Amino acid sequence: MSKIVELEALSTFVAPGETVGLGGAWMSNHPMAAVRQLIRDGIGDLHVVGSLSSIDVDLLIAAGLVRELTFSMVSLEAYGLAPHFRAAVQDGSLKINEVSGVAINVGYSAGARNLPFLPMRDLGGSQLPEMAPDFYANVTCPFSGDEFLAIRAFNPDVAILHVARADAAGNCQVDGPKSIDDEIARAARRVIVTAEEIVDTDVIVANASSTHIPGFLVDAVIEAPYGAHPTSLVPVYGFDAWTVMDYADVCAAGEAPAYLEQLRGESEAEYRARVLDDDRRTVLAHVAQDVQVLEAS
Amino acid sequence: MTDYRPEELIVCRIAADVDESGVTVLGSFTPLAYAAYMLAKLTHAPNAAVVAFNAVGVPPVQLSLTGTEAALYSRAIAHWSFTTNTEVVHLGNRGLVECVSPAQIDGSGAFNLSVIGDYRTPKVRMPGGAGSPEVMQNYERIIVYFGKHDTRTLVDKVFFRTGERKPIADEARAAKGLLRGPIRIVTPLCVMVKDEDDRPFRIETLNPGHTVEEVVENTGFEVEVPADIGVTVTPTQEQITLLRERIDPYETMRFDFMGAQERKERLRELLQDEWDRALAAAPVA
Repeated sequence: MSKIVELEALSTFVAPGETVGLGGAWMSNHPMAAVRQLIRDGIGDLHVVGSLSSIDVDLLIAAGLVRELTFSMVSLEAYGLAPHFRAAVQDGSLKINEVSGVAINVGYSAGARNLPFLPMRDLGGSQLPEMAPDFYANVTCPFSGDEFLAIRAFNPDVAILHVARADAAGNCQVDGPKSIDDEIARAARRVIVTAEEIVDTDVIVANASSTHIPGFLVDAVIEAPYGAHPTSLVPVYGFDAWTVMDYADVCAAGEAPAYLEQLRGESEAEYRARVLDDDRRTVLAHVAQDVQVLEAS
Repeated sequence: MTDYRPEELIVCRIAADVDESGVTVLGSFTPLAYAAYMLAKLTHAPNAAVVAFNAVGVPPVQLSLTGTEAALYSRAIAHWSFTTNTEVVHLGNRGLVECVSPAQIDGSGAFNLSVIGDYRTPKVRMPGGAGSPEVMQNYERIIVYFGKHDTRTLVDKVFFRTGERKPIADEARAAKGLLRGPIRIVTPLCVMVKDEDDRPFRIETLNPGHTVEEVVENTGFEVEVPADIGVTVTPTQEQITLLRERIDPYETMRFDFMGAQERKERLRELLQDEWDRALAAAPVA
């Protein structure tokens, strides 16, 4: 049975008010085509669980779609603070749960195992546990009596992930960074995958060790070329720092509303035609493949 | 004496802590730390295990703004889930070195990457610490580096403790099943170390040309001044050549030493340069 649907059908899999786990990390493999579609469809009141988030979460906040955010970091890295995340926390309009990065991974692992929590060692004097008591608690080891930190399980209503290739059954592969996508897929109640390309199952089978998400976890597969843009999908295309820098500039100039209006008014194919001209495609492919490895002399 | 820039001294000091006894991890994009790890691998620690994102056992690569990630991936010996990496390295006691460069640190070693001002009603909401709370608590060698040494950064008390290593003393850590090791702060003025919970940071070495008075005056917390303080080892000609000609010819590691405006202009220039080089190198379609 084919699970392939169009990007425009995303709204049938994500309802307003739901908890959405987004894949990707830093400036890699965020499900950006799906983020743009959420913005076009205006699916709001979301509790977004990121981990190492960047322009994905900032855009959703900019579009007013995020009620609550669970995160360990939201940053444009060298290109600045994430402007809408920053503003929404400062003006009190966004409820946040700041959970340290490794604890988020532990929480997803708990969710994947159908456990209410998993323990880890404590965070020393960090104040994060006291600020996010819904996510961190103390637990006593039944064997030693020692105290550990319990991390509440993450089981998002829906996971949205971007992969390099998938077949119609939703068997997914990546060749580069995949962040914590495997664990998000295992912990979520529903899994939506956007794929750079849809391939025959033979292609998946030929390279089975790259399959990180099996189809039985996946509910829908959407073909989305440049679906991680402007974040990277190494080795297909690199991080489009030029576009992220433009985004930072646009936001700093107070022009984010027009930027969002443009996104809302165009299809994903129109987005690609507008932003990804031949030169940009050439450059992004080049930086994802032309590697400068240094040999010891 | 070899002519060097302040950031090169810091890079070489960080590199000195990277050896082949554990795993060094590349976190968020911090070119200065990346450069130090590459330098170690090209000099005294060729077999140092370096993990980047999901890529395990990465080679030394030339730094750029857009190509570093692909370069690291291309020759990794394994691609793990990031969850597996954190289970093995951060939680599994294999973390040797990772650098942190927070907005603030105080005399207890607590650092802040979360807010300026009150946590609930911040003046500035910063990005958050990613995995740095776990790094700070669990790794063997913690290096906190800064491009500037001043009382706005090295403060009496941080606005918020995103992370804090506790306990610090070796025996107390060992009793809790944690790796032993101190916290070091590396700045343009000096190297400071804290290896006991109830004792202040003390000056370990002074960078050439800087004084105890300068350090004390520009530090917002109490600093212990030992009777004899060494001099921070200066970069060798080999290290400088490697950094300037091979690891970081485009000077990405200077970003930590620039003000916001200069940094932005330099980023723009570098990106234009990377775009032009990529287009020039790509085969004509």
